[in-house]
Amino acid sequence: MADTILSVRDLSTRFFTEEGQVNAVESVSFDVEDGEIFGIVGESGSGKSVTALSVIDLIESPGRVTQGEIWYRNADLAEEFRGSKPEAVDGDLVDIRRLPKGVRRSLRGPSFSMVFQDPMSSFNPSITVGEQIAEAVEVQRRARSNPRSTRSRTQGYGLGSLLVDSLLPSKSYVDDESMDRAVELLDQVGIPDPEDRAEEYPHQFSGGMLQRAMIAQALAGEPDILIADEPTTALDVTIQAQILNLLRDLQEQEGMSILMITHDLGVIARMCDRVGVMYAGEVVERGPLADIFDNPVHPYTQGLLGSIPDVDDPSGRLEPISGNVPSLLDSEMPDACYFADRCPKAMTDCLTRIPEYELDGRHSVRCVLAEQEYDPADAVDSADAADAVDREVNADD
Amino acid sequence: MTEPLLAVRDLQKYYFEQDSFVDSLLGRDPTSVKAVDGISFEVERGETLGLVGESGCGKSTTGETLLRLREATGGAVTFDGANVFEMDDDELKAFRRDAQIVFQDPFSSLDPRMTVGDIVAEPLKIHGIPESADGESKREWRRDKVADLLERVGLSANHLDRYPHEFSGGQRQRIGIARALALEPDFIVLDEPVSALDVSVQAQVLNLLDDLQSEFGLTYLFIAHDLSVVRHICDRVAVMYLGNVVELGPTDELFESPKHPYTKALLESVPRPSTAEHGRRVEALSGDVPSPRNPPSGCRFRTRCPQVIPPDDLDIEQGTYRSVMDLRDALAVGDVNPDHIWDAADPDRADTEAFIEEARARHVDAELRGEVAGVVDTALGHLAEGEADRAGETLRERFESPCETRRPAVGEAPHPAACHLYEGSDEVTVIETNAGAAAEADD
Ligand SMILES: Nc1ncnc2c1ncn2[C@@H]1O[C@H](COP(=O)(O)OP(=O)(O)OP(=O)(O)O)[C@@H](O)[C@H]1O
Ligand code: SF4
Ligand code: SF4
Ligand SMILES: [Mg+2]
Repeated sequence: MADTILSVRDLSTRFFTEEGQVNAVESVSFDVEDGEIFGIVGESGSGKSVTALSVIDLIESPGRVTQGEIWYRNADLAEEFRGSKPEAVDGDLVDIRRLPKGVRRSLRGPSFSMVFQDPMSSFNPSITVGEQIAEAVEVQRRARSNPRSTRSRTQGYGLGSLLVDSLLPSKSYVDDESMDRAVELLDQVGIPDPEDRAEEYPHQFSGGMLQRAMIAQALAGEPDILIADEPTTALDVTIQAQILNLLRDLQEQEGMSILMITHDLGVIARMCDRVGVMYAGEVVERGPLADIFDNPVHPYTQGLLGSIPDVDDPSGRLEPISGNVPSLLDSEMPDACYFADRCPKAMTDCLTRIPEYELDGRHSVRCVLAEQEYDPADAVDSADAADAVDREVNADD
Repeated sequence: MTEPLLAVRDLQKYYFEQDSFVDSLLGRDPTSVKAVDGISFEVERGETLGLVGESGCGKSTTGETLLRLREATGGAVTFDGANVFEMDDDELKAFRRDAQIVFQDPFSSLDPRMTVGDIVAEPLKIHGIPESADGESKREWRRDKVADLLERVGLSANHLDRYPHEFSGGQRQRIGIARALALEPDFIVLDEPVSALDVSVQAQVLNLLDDLQSEFGLTYLFIAHDLSVVRHICDRVAVMYLGNVVELGPTDELFESPKHPYTKALLESVPRPSTAEHGRRVEALSGDVPSPRNPPSGCRFRTRCPQVIPPDDLDIEQGTYRSVMDLRDALAVGDVNPDHIWDAADPDRADTEAFIEEARARHVDAELRGEVAGVVDTALGHLAEGEADRAGETLRERFESPCETRRPAVGEAPHPAACHLYEGSDEVTVIETNAGAAAEADD
């Protein structure tokens, strides 16, 4: 078995909004192994992006990671903190949540890097693409020599926002060497005529080309883990195919791991070795691709697979999941399985919080069906449960 | 055969840019964006015709133009025997009852200040329905009608007095569908009706659309980019690329034996949600969709087509030919900069051999041999001397494809494809490894 590069344990993230507390991520655990592509799949609002942002320490007010550990394998860091912060070190692993803020920040780029869904809003429109990538190169270089690092003009945009709280040392910030490296990176991600394209502005790029550029920017720090949040959702299917090929090639060339976030089960199937399925902020099922697609245990996973029309086989009616994606407001979260109001197999045993059950070493599920057969005699009418919730919600408007 | 409900003939819709006063003073022609450029199809009564293609290919423009929500630049649309573009006010009003549209975005397509009841009732009011209601007020009649519609689309009559923001995306899309049904239309343009929805909810809405079609005998034009959804819901499918219909056929036939190289590429690209998909490497199309401001001559797909047809008298591997054509396209759009090639090859700009080698490494993704290598090197030699036009011309003379000089059209066949590999006949089989032979078979 490959070594684990990232191990997320029991992670919870909350947003404290005017409407109340939003439980965006709830006790999420998963591992990412060396050189693998781990996928997180789920519908909108299920907490995929917030999970990614929590890992990379980019949750901003009113949000906060409220519990959990994020173990990252890095022998140098482990050595550095073994004496001063023994609780944050376990062998070669460090719990990055317990490291000082400055150190955590210095990990963005060389350790973790991120590619976002919308390339257009991830670049600063008034700086050339080449400069923005060169800047990422520069920041990484400086970060390496001085972890207290620098401020970037691309901050607030995509990867630039990973580099906040840095100092801009001088105006001629991007030197020739960084610019050359930027051109090299653009070439590596398949941008034709990279020398010229480096001097163009984001609006001169097509969506697919800009997504390539963002990947180039994310590669600038030679990250151990690339987090790709819906990297192809905004793209057409023929361009998506190009970008997925590119990500796989880069993953093999660079030997990095990828945390791939998508709502598209097809993308998961093509790209990922292992998968976590998210629903209402929880990872409800997790395991190798074949376990999730061929032997799903959680009724939500089954429902999701039953909802997708098959491009190779039109026969049959779709089997949708009834009802709607739930609200994540703490005050509306039931003390029951979060899926109970839509689940065709809900039983009385489901009306309590459900732990994560291990099916075997690699396949786990948050559902009582892991341990018991569905018993119709014990069924709770999910429609009734849903109505009850509905009535409760409507009562206050 | 009965007459189709809707017939679209040579429909064109150009958008004009740079159409300002200054432009007209300077005598500049406005630049046209050829969003829809001469497409034809028919929709039979009771069927669902899918219109599929990538963003910007003209799908939505087609739907809106044929409903006369946008003014067509050319062509004709016949609905139930009448020419839509020549209707007078009364006829148009009747057409607007019979033909409806549901939009993609369930969040922006409903007025947030109106109650659901008023939203669904609005078309009834506009059309003065009911003309009379016995025993109850017209308002009550409409309220009952709306309550009934809401229940038909899987909502409840209790939702009448609520506002759109109180509903989820799937529920809002149901509201939009109820509104479209209010006037008891025959025909509905569904413009990406489920694209904004999560898959679990998308499946509910697809099933609903299916049920409503059987219940009311509706005819649909279903616009989508998701091929799985199209396969599931459509009887026939038209594939669009850059303002043209490139292939049209019965759904199963089109998905099982696609003809047009673009359709093939689309189908090949779709990620399948199954374990067999794992690690599948798609032969991705190269490049981007060209701009509709300046579409390629001849076949619009030729800049990306893996089967682009070489000249008859040229002996060349298909992959090599594609690479040479890519070089030509790159030269044409200015993606080959000789300065950069010189900088890398020989900063003193003396060694032409080195320049050619560097240019080939950068811009030609294939091994070149024999005559092909000779012509390409000659052209790159011109480029080294700063004569980019001459380089382009040298390549054109030897490598010009029939695909760039002749525009293929969709014929009258039951499953036509606008591609020279099929011209004139449905019977010509594609010979994948030797496109030259296929071109010969055409003649
Ligand atoms: N800045 C924020 N303030 C308040 N709530 C937030 C914020 N960001 C996210 N949330 C909430 O957290 C929950 C999870 O959101 P998240 O963006 O992670 O979902 P997702 O799975 O990435 O969805 P999508 O597929 O739509 O991208 C949602 O309920 C969302 O409304
Ligand atoms: S725990 Fe119960 S309600 Fe929840 S998914 Fe499993 S069977 Fe359904
Ligand atoms: S006409 Fe030529 S370029 Fe167009 S699709 Fe057919 S083979 Fe390809
Ligand atoms: Mg997201």
